[in-house]
Amino acid sequence: MAKARWLALAFLAAVEVGVAEIPPRPEMLSFPPLTFEVPKAERFKVNLSQGIAAYVAEDRLLPLVTVQVYFRGGRYLEERGKEGTAQLLGTVWRTGGAGDLDPQALDETLDFLAAQLSTSVGPTYSSVSLNLLKKDLDRGLQLLFDVMLRPRFDEARLAKAKEDLIAELKRRNDDAAEIEQREWQRLVYGDDYWLNRLPTKASVEAIGRQDLQALHRRIVNPANCVVAVAGDVDRQEMVRKLKGLLDQWKVKGESVPPVPQPTHQAKPGVYLVHKADVNQGRVSLGHLGAKRPLAEEFAITVANDVLGGGGFTAWMMSRIRSDEGLAYSAYSSYNIGEYFPGTFRASFQSKSSTCARAAFLTLDLVGKLRRGEVTEQELVTSKNSFIETFPRNFESKLRTVQLYAQDDLAGRPHAYWLTYREQIRRVDRQAVKQAAEKLIKPEEFVILVVGNVDEILQGHPDFPEIQLAKLGPLTRLPLRDPLTLQPLP
Amino acid sequence: MYKRAILLLLFFGLPFPLLGQKVDVREELLPNGMRLLMVERHDTPTVSCGWVAKVGSVNESPGITGISHLFEHMMFKGTKTIGTKGYEKDRDILARQDAVRAEMEREYSKLREQLRRGEISGSIYDPENATPRLKELKAQLEKLYAEEKENIVKDELDQIYTREGASGLNAFTTEDQTVYFVTVPANKLELWFWLESDRLANPVFREFYSERDVVREERRLRVESTPLGKFEEQFNAMFWQSTPYHHPVIGWPADVESITRAQAEAYFATYYAPNNITAVLVGDFDPEKALELAKRYFGRLPRGQVAPPEVISEEVPQVAEKRFLAEAETNPEVQIRFHAVPFLHRDMYALQLAADLLSRRTGRLYKSLVEGKKVAVGEPYASFRPMKYAGYFEVGAEVKEGVEPAAVEGALLAELERLAKEPVEERELQKVKNQQLANSFRRLQSNFFLMLQLALYDSFGDWRFINEAPAKVQAVTAQDIQRVASRTFTRENRNVAIYTRKAGTAEDPELAALPAELRGMVKQQLQQLLTINDADRLGQALAQMQQMMGRVPPQMKPAFDYVLRKMEERLAQLQREKKEE
Repeated sequence: MAKARWLALAFLAAVEVGVAEIPPRPEMLSFPPLTFEVPKAERFKVNLSQGIAAYVAEDRLLPLVTVQVYFRGGRYLEERGKEGTAQLLGTVWRTGGAGDLDPQALDETLDFLAAQLSTSVGPTYSSVSLNLLKKDLDRGLQLLFDVMLRPRFDEARLAKAKEDLIAELKRRNDDAAEIEQREWQRLVYGDDYWLNRLPTKASVEAIGRQDLQALHRRIVNPANCVVAVAGDVDRQEMVRKLKGLLDQWKVKGESVPPVPQPTHQAKPGVYLVHKADVNQGRVSLGHLGAKRPLAEEFAITVANDVLGGGGFTAWMMSRIRSDEGLAYSAYSSYNIGEYFPGTFRASFQSKSSTCARAAFLTLDLVGKLRRGEVTEQELVTSKNSFIETFPRNFESKLRTVQLYAQDDLAGRPHAYWLTYREQIRRVDRQAVKQAAEKLIKPEEFVILVVGNVDEILQGHPDFPEIQLAKLGPLTRLPLRDPLTLQPLP
Repeated sequence: MYKRAILLLLFFGLPFPLLGQKVDVREELLPNGMRLLMVERHDTPTVSCGWVAKVGSVNESPGITGISHLFEHMMFKGTKTIGTKGYEKDRDILARQDAVRAEMEREYSKLREQLRRGEISGSIYDPENATPRLKELKAQLEKLYAEEKENIVKDELDQIYTREGASGLNAFTTEDQTVYFVTVPANKLELWFWLESDRLANPVFREFYSERDVVREERRLRVESTPLGKFEEQFNAMFWQSTPYHHPVIGWPADVESITRAQAEAYFATYYAPNNITAVLVGDFDPEKALELAKRYFGRLPRGQVAPPEVISEEVPQVAEKRFLAEAETNPEVQIRFHAVPFLHRDMYALQLAADLLSRRTGRLYKSLVEGKKVAVGEPYASFRPMKYAGYFEVGAEVKEGVEPAAVEGALLAELERLAKEPVEERELQKVKNQQLANSFRRLQSNFFLMLQLALYDSFGDWRFINEAPAKVQAVTAQDIQRVASRTFTRENRNVAIYTRKAGTAEDPELAALPAELRGMVKQQLQQLLTINDADRLGQALAQMQQMMGRVPPQMKPAFDYVLRKMEERLAQLQREKKEE
C-alpha cells in the first residue's frame, strides 16, 4: 500500500518534471513541421506601357512606399578615355536638378518631404529609387519621373562631383583593402577588360555634361526597364498611377548591347604589392569563375560553402582562425555572375609572418575539397542551411518584388526559385567532388599578397620551410599613382 | 475663430499620425530578474532572436581593458555539453593551462621590471625578449593547446544552428553592451532557448589563451592596418579623460595579453547574471509559448549573487581646448568633437536635430563649406552619439585642395556658433523633424534591426525609447536647439583633430622649401592664427607681426614671410566673405 502510494507520487513528480524537462542534447528536441511556399511572381506582375514589366506588392505594415526603376546598362558602356562617366552620372543624375527644379530646389523639396530619392549606375545595371511616406506619394512619383526622364545635369553640380571623385581617387592607396581589390580584378580579368578601365584624373577632367546626357540616353529606355513597388498602397491604384506617368514617355525602344565577356588568360603565380606601414598582409587566391547558367551551380555552391563560404562552420574559418589563430576572418566565394563570369576567391588577412602559412593551409583545404573529403555530415549541414534559410530570399514584400524584377533584368527565369531547394537537395558528395575538381583549379591560381612584402617573404622562424616562393613564380607589382594609375617607381 | 480651428483639428485628428508608429512590445520579467521583450510579426516564417548583457568596455578597469570583447569571443567556445568530447577531460586540461599560464605571468612580471630598467626594449611579449624558462613554458602551453584541440568539437554551436537553418549567428561588443543574435526558422524557437540558456548556464571558456591570437589579428585588421584606425583610437583616448570610455573597446594590447581565466569567471558571474540580461524576440511566434519556454530554459539561471556595480566615474568637465595634429595616409580632414549629454537625457532630441540641421546637402555645413566658402569637398558631416553615461557631438569635413585646414575648422565653428546665436527658422526645423518622423518608420522595416534596437535601448536604460522618442523629437523648439548649442559648443569643450597627408606626398611647395626644423613650427603657428574668424582680430594680429619684421633674425626670415603671406591671404578671404554677407 505504502509502496503503491510512493510509486504514484514518483509518477506524478515525473509527469511534472516531464512538462518542464530540458533534454540533455539539442538534437533531442523535436520541431513542428514548417512549410514555405514560394510566392508566385505572377501574383505581383503587371505589364505597364511600352512592354515595361512591373512587380507590385501591397505591404501595409508601415505607412511607407518604395518604388524602384531598374535599367539594364551601366559602367561597361563607358567610352574609352572618359572613365568615371558612369559614377558621375550616378551622382549628378540626382544632384543636378530635374524638370522645373534646379539642384537646390530639388534637394530642398525632397528633404522637406523626407523622401529618399537616389540614382545609381552600377557595373551592369542602373536604378532610380524612391522611398517616402505614402501621404506624399503623388508628389514623390512626379519627382521620381522628373529625375528619371528630365534630369538637368547642372554644370556646377557636375564640377562638384568631379572634384569629389578626384579627391576619392587620391585615397586609392591609403587602404590596403582597396589596393587588394583593384589588383585582384586586374590579375583575374586582365588590364584591358572594361571592369579594369578605371577613372584617372585626366579621364575625369575630360568628362563633360554631354557625356552624362549620352550615357543617360542609352540606359534610360523602355526596352531596358523593369519596375518594383512595395508598400502601403492599393495595387490597382498604383498601377494606374504608374501607367499614367509612363504614357508620357515617348521614346523608341532600343536595348543596350550585352556585357562584353573577358578573354584574358591570367598567369598563375604569386603577386606581391608592397605597402610599408601595415603589419598585416591581405591575401587572395583564385581565378575566374563562371556565369549563369552553370550545370554545376548547386554543387559548387555547396562545395564553396563547406570550404569557406559557410562562416564559422566552414573549413577555412575552423582551420585558419579557430585552430591556428592566424586570422580574424578567412572565407571563400564562388561567384556565379549574371552578366559576366564572377571569380573563385579565397581570402584572409594575417600578420606578416604568418601569411605564407595561412596560404598553405588554404591550398591544403582546396585539395581536400577536390579529393572529395567532405563528410556526409558536413554535406547535410550545408545543404540544410541553404534549404532552411531559403525563405529569407522573400523575407519582405520589397525583397520579393526586387528579386523578381532582377530576374527579368538578368534574363533569369522565375522558375529558378521554384526548383531551388530541390536542386540543393539533390547535391551529393560525388557531385561536390566533381564540381570542385572541374571548377576550382589550384594550378591556375593567382595568389595576390598586399602588405609589407619584405616581412611577409621572411615567413615565420618556426616554419622555415613554408615560403610563398614555393607556390609559384614571385612577381612584384608596383603601387600605382593614385591619379594616373601609372606604376610608381 | 482661431481657437475653434485648433479644436477642430483636435477632434478630427491630423491627416497623418504625427507621433510615429507605436511598436506593440510585450514585456515580461522572469523571477530571476531576466527581462523578455517580444514583438509578433507574421510576414515571414522566421524569428530574429537576441539577448543583450548590459556590460561593455565602460565596465572595465585598467588592467582588464578588452575583457568584455574577449569574453564575447569566449561565448562561442561551447559549454559542458556543446563543443566538447567530454567535459571532465576539458576541466583537467584547462586547469593545467592555467597553472602554466600563472607561471608565465611571473616571468612576464620579471620582464616588465627589466623593461622599466631599460635592460630590454620593445614589448615584453616580443619573442626576442623571451627568457629560456618562458620558452619552455610556452612550449608546454602549445602542447596543452594541442591536447585541448583533440577534445574539442569545433564551432559546434555554429554547426548546430547552421544545420537547423538558423543564420547570422554573431555578436558585438560596444562601450555599453554586448549583444548576441541569430535568426531562426519559426518552428525552431525552442532550439534558440536551449542553446542560449545553455551557454549562459554552463559556459566553458575553451581556447581562452589561444583565442588571443584571433583578437590580435582583429586589432591588426581594424586598428593597426587601416589608414586612420590607430589615430582614431588615440583621439578618443584624448577626448575622454576620467570615464572608462577613454580606452578602446578592443582593449589596450598589454591588458588583453594578460587577462586570466579567473578574472573572466568573476566577470561572468557579475555581468552575465540573468538580472543583467534582456532577451528580445521579433518575428513569427506565439508569445504565450515563448514565455513558457523562457520560464523553462532561462528560468534555470540563478540570479546573480551581487548586483553589477554601477559605473560611478564621471567625465570631469574639460577646462581647455585640446588639439590633435596627425599626419596620416589620408586626405586632409578636420574633425571637431564636443562633450555632450548621454542617451535618454532630455536634451538628446534637440542635439539630434542640431546634427540634422547641419547634415546632408540641404544642411548648413554643406551650404556654408561647400557651396559658400568652397573650402571642403564631399559632404561635411555632423553627428550626435549619446552613450549610456555620456555622449559626444562631432562635426567634420574633408579639406579642399589648396585650402588650409584652419579655414575648414573656422567655417565649421562658425556654423556651430550660428546655432547658438540665432534661433532656427520654422521651416528648416520642420524639415529635420519630418526626416526624423519618416526615419522612425524606416527603422521598423526589418525584424532583425527592430530586435537590435530594442536590445540597445533597453541596455541604455529603457526600451520604451522606441515609442517615446518620436513625440519628443517633434516637441523640440528653436529655443531648445539654441540652448543646447550654446551649452555644448564652447571653446573649453572643444577637441579638434586635424589630419594632414603624411609628408612625402603633396605638400604646399612653398612650405616644403623651408628648412625642415622650421616647417613644423610654421605649420603650428599658422594653424593657431588661421582659426581666427574675425577679420578685425586677424588684422590686428597681422599688424603686430608686421611691426616685428625688423627684429626677425635672418635665418627665420623666409618662414616669417611665409606666415605673413598666408595671413594676408586669409584676411583677404575673410573680408570678401564679410562683404558678401
